[in-house]
Amino acid sequence: MPLIALLALVVALAIADPGFLTQRSLTAVARTAAPLIVLAAAATLIVLCGGIDLSIAAVASLSTVLLALWLPHLGGLATPAVILAAASIGAVQGVAHVLLRIPSFIVTLGGMSILSAIALVVSGAGTVRVVDDSTVKWLELYVGGYVPMSFVMALVVVALIALMLKLTPLRSWISATGYSESAARLAGTPVDLVKIGAFVVSGAGAGFAAIMLVSRQFSGGPTMADNLLLPAVAAIVVGGTAITGGHGSVWRSLAGALVVTLLRVGLPIVGVPSAYEQILYGVVIVIAVTLTLDWSKVSIIK
Amino acid sequence: MSVPASTPALEVRGLVKHYPGVKALDGVDLVVRQHEVLGLVGENGAGKSTLLKALVGLVVPDAGEIRVRGEAVKLRSVVDAADHGIGMVFQEQSLVPNLTAAENILLGGEGPGVRRGVYRWDAMRRLAQEQLDKIGSNIDPLVRTDALSFADRQMVEIAKVLRIEQRSQHPPVIVLDEPTSVLESKEIETLFAQIRRLREFASVVFVSHRLDEVLEVCDRVAVLRNGQSVGEVAAAGAVPRELHRMMIGSTGSDDHYHENAAAVVESGQPRLAVRGLSGTSFQDVNLDVAAGEIVAIVGVHGSGREDVCRALFGAEPVTAGEIWMDGKKIDISGTRAACAAGIGYVPAERKTEGMVGPMSVAENMTLAKQRARCAGPFVAPGKQATVVDRWIDRLSIRTPGRDTPIQRLSGGNQQKVVLARWLVGGDIRLLLLDHPTRGLDIGARSEVYRLMRELAASGVATVLLADSLEEAIGMADRILVMNDGRVVSEVGCPAGGKPSPLDLVKEMV
Repeated sequence: MPLIALLALVVALAIADPGFLTQRSLTAVARTAAPLIVLAAAATLIVLCGGIDLSIAAVASLSTVLLALWLPHLGGLATPAVILAAASIGAVQGVAHVLLRIPSFIVTLGGMSILSAIALVVSGAGTVRVVDDSTVKWLELYVGGYVPMSFVMALVVVALIALMLKLTPLRSWISATGYSESAARLAGTPVDLVKIGAFVVSGAGAGFAAIMLVSRQFSGGPTMADNLLLPAVAAIVVGGTAITGGHGSVWRSLAGALVVTLLRVGLPIVGVPSAYEQILYGVVIVIAVTLTLDWSKVSIIK
Repeated sequence: MSVPASTPALEVRGLVKHYPGVKALDGVDLVVRQHEVLGLVGENGAGKSTLLKALVGLVVPDAGEIRVRGEAVKLRSVVDAADHGIGMVFQEQSLVPNLTAAENILLGGEGPGVRRGVYRWDAMRRLAQEQLDKIGSNIDPLVRTDALSFADRQMVEIAKVLRIEQRSQHPPVIVLDEPTSVLESKEIETLFAQIRRLREFASVVFVSHRLDEVLEVCDRVAVLRNGQSVGEVAAAGAVPRELHRMMIGSTGSDDHYHENAAAVVESGQPRLAVRGLSGTSFQDVNLDVAAGEIVAIVGVHGSGREDVCRALFGAEPVTAGEIWMDGKKIDISGTRAACAAGIGYVPAERKTEGMVGPMSVAENMTLAKQRARCAGPFVAPGKQATVVDRWIDRLSIRTPGRDTPIQRLSGGNQQKVVLARWLVGGDIRLLLLDHPTRGLDIGARSEVYRLMRELAASGVATVLLADSLEEAIGMADRILVMNDGRVVSEVGCPAGGKPSPLDLVKEMV
């Protein structure tokens, strides 16, 4: 389904603008899509568990600031340090979700607000310029001269998560948790650990997306990634991962992220002002959720 | 339009309802006369609940017809049923606890009780009082529902149901589903007085597991078995044993429970020893189960036996007590710890708690014991195939394949997969079976019983919460009776020396 939508979009855009299918614009699409792919793929695990992470964009924004601040001091170590920090933020949210028994929606909504404020404070409410970007510049290289390195890395991240799910019992545990948490618990599944793990991966993904953003913009900013939240959630649901949990995959989120990016790039091509972009995300999310919702699990809509 | 007195208030003809893998109703006939209290009895899984749901429009039957006062009707919702004068007092009370009795009684039909969107309390009180007067109850309509006793809340429910009189211009048909299961004996007397009063202006369908009560309060009793009507008796002069034989039928005879395969229980150190276990709904429970022994815990709804069972699996908080396995004290702080200790649990709610419907047979079977299909940290597809296929074969699970989603299997085969989940690890020492045969047909039940016998013979200790007293007596080597959170007695139950159900019932209530 998401693949068909993806193909249809490419064809439609190629018809609307014959110049679209050139190497230059495809490269641009791939580059734009990279951080979104990483964000969406990592957060997919939480959705598969039956939750949602609304804090990914805020974590990513904060991470861009941290990276910009740490690069002069830590040099090459700044990148892993930022990913570690973002993963820890995810872990804290996951533990809060599990131990305090608060819905993930609320934990990450609160987290989003708190982290945005921290990013503002730490950055002094302004853009932090990166003077020496030598340690993150490699993401701006092109593999074979055409394929952006950041896009390749995004695919690597998706493949790593997918492999981890495919080769280990994690896939069973996550699905069982998402489809029916009580059944999973009564089968002795480590439900709590699985959920915290999903939050850690989601946080780490946000940190990695931040590194891609910094490498592109030569700076970190307290709101730099904030406009990626809606596209990321849209990417997950457009991919066909059910918001009710259980059903879905990270590959679907990859396809979803490409669809969302193409829509975004395509709007100006067909003559729609980019101010309408948010309307598009809203509509896309509602339609996609309607199509993928597991109605058997939802008897009362809140 | 007047209806002749001889026309039945409610008539059911050839009602059929299929669920995947189960024929819940298989051509049920039922007649409820005007101003009559009709008892409806049957074992669990006989089709009572489905029939009741069909009567109040919660289930749409596949075939057959329902006639109200001689007129065929299609009931598609509770409102539909109410329009035809059929109402039900649900087993799980359906009142909103933080509203007053008056608000609950009039909920959704306040009429003059609300003007311009605001409660008129004097009108509310008057309207609610009218309903309560019908059953002669002296409950204050303005008291909050959660301040009322369980029995009073039931009166409120009945008063609420009686509102359907206003919707249809005929005497209503009131369905009472297990109304006595949590009542004290004095409260039961009050309820029975109400039922006799109801008969003056309504027809009543009374469902209960307690056969003596059914015979006491009803005029006639209809018996269901395996989704079919197997007969009816006039209550006057009938005895519980007679009803009971009709409920069980011929299948209860011979060796339905495979008694000749019962394991030889060795004395000595018990496999499971529970000392002074207390939780929110049970106190000071002591329990010993030997290897190879099947111990059934019986008790009415609210006896706390389900919670004890869950507590032994770490799924219910425990405030005091000790659990020993094979002479070693174990700490069961959660379900993982219990699994690691070699304890397995088959939940009563198979569809929501036992299995993960959309996941495959293989994944469901290996969910608890991942090591059975893994090599190191990785899933080994070859190993998984071998292990899962072996158990599919050994338990004769009928499935198109190991990768088929478990929800496509019949109930009995689903349950076998859930049971196999605890066997694939090869380390099972204690099985906790919470209504393992609920909703299964006779054939599937028999297979589950045989499997239980085989496991016991291989040395697995079993705690069984049976679906019916007969099942408990048939399967168990020993029976513990729980009442109000405590173990009140212990009855030996060896093959050839089984206690009678009535003896147990005496201890249960």
